[in-house]
Amino acid sequence: MEDDYFSIDSILADNQKIQCIFNKEIPDLGHLWGGSERDIAAQGKYQIPMWMAYIVIYSDWAEFNIPTPFGNRVRNALNAEPRSVRLSSLVGAGGLWYGFGKTIMDMLSDEQANEMSQMLTKTFRERLVEVIDQAQHFAALGPAGGGGGSTGDTAQAFREGLDATERELFVLAQESAKRTKKWYEDYDKGRR
Amino acid sequence: MSLPQSLRTSVTPPELELIACQQLVEIIPLISMEKTAFISGAYGPLRPPHKAQVPLWMALNLKSKKKCHIVAPDWLSVEYLQDRLTEEISKKDFSSLPFRFTEIAKVLLDVASDDLQNPDRLRLLLKDIREARQAKSREGLRQLDHSALLLTRLCSMEINEIRPFFIQSMGVLTQLTRQSTSES
Repeated sequence: MEDDYFSIDSILADNQKIQCIFNKEIPDLGHLWGGSERDIAAQGKYQIPMWMAYIVIYSDWAEFNIPTPFGNRVRNALNAEPRSVRLSSLVGAGGLWYGFGKTIMDMLSDEQANEMSQMLTKTFRERLVEVIDQAQHFAALGPAGGGGGSTGDTAQAFREGLDATERELFVLAQESAKRTKKWYEDYDKGRR
Repeated sequence: MSLPQSLRTSVTPPELELIACQQLVEIIPLISMEKTAFISGAYGPLRPPHKAQVPLWMALNLKSKKKCHIVAPDWLSVEYLQDRLTEEISKKDFSSLPFRFTEIAKVLLDVASDDLQNPDRLRLLLKDIREARQAKSREGLRQLDHSALLLTRLCSMEINEIRPFFIQSMGVLTQLTRQSTSES
């Protein structure tokens, strides 16, 4: 999540592809996107990974569109009910929707970026309560609870749709609730 | 870095219990003992019919050997806790209880339940209070913000329980919020 050089999450978020439209021809670099053409054509659309997109976009060689995981359709769905959107299926494996959003946000102009930031924060905040609730619920089921404990389809669908950032929070909350619960129930006679 | 993830984020409940056991409680000793120096200070002397102040860990140790009775703190009584519970349910704020009340109440109920009045009722009340407070801290989560969180009178065990994911989610929110442009 953070902009740390050593952060694996940040590297993974940078691996997302973004569509760029080149505005000039670049000879002999077609191999970079794995295509068979020799040159990059002007007005050509290429999917390039984020880490490369930075330099290409900042040097004014190309423009980019806001990627679909943050496009209007998703935005409307999030406005309607943040908890029903499957963030994990919007972005590929690893699923760092927030991380990806943050990188995109950093490249946008102020106005768009603020809008994006609002969307991300609002979504995060509204989903968080549900994440923690479910985590604590699962912690309460006890050690064997994971397998059989599906409580309704919506809850399960929500869990499957968690993005990696939320997943991490889920685990943290679950562990902590479990530990506290264990302490409340334990009475270690031998210790005293 | 070699610590397991769970120990990096916060202290464990048994550690909190250990810290809480440094607090002083009153006991009625059943044995006599001279004033004795410990690392944390000198305690005693113990003279059987007179009350004495000793740290909780020592009281628990003596109690488990049946060498003292522990005098329950004022707040660990049915009436007091019942009042707090009513307050907890009727008001929006957390009611004021000692910072480490969960730890102390638990060890006393575990080890010295025969020195308390109506221990079963106490257990029930504590559980109800805990649940009412949990509901409130969940409300706090709803208002979570990237820079600050205010939950007055939250006690140590509750803070410890919510600490790992509150910190993490505030971190995420900090990342997602743009403050630099609006301020500069």
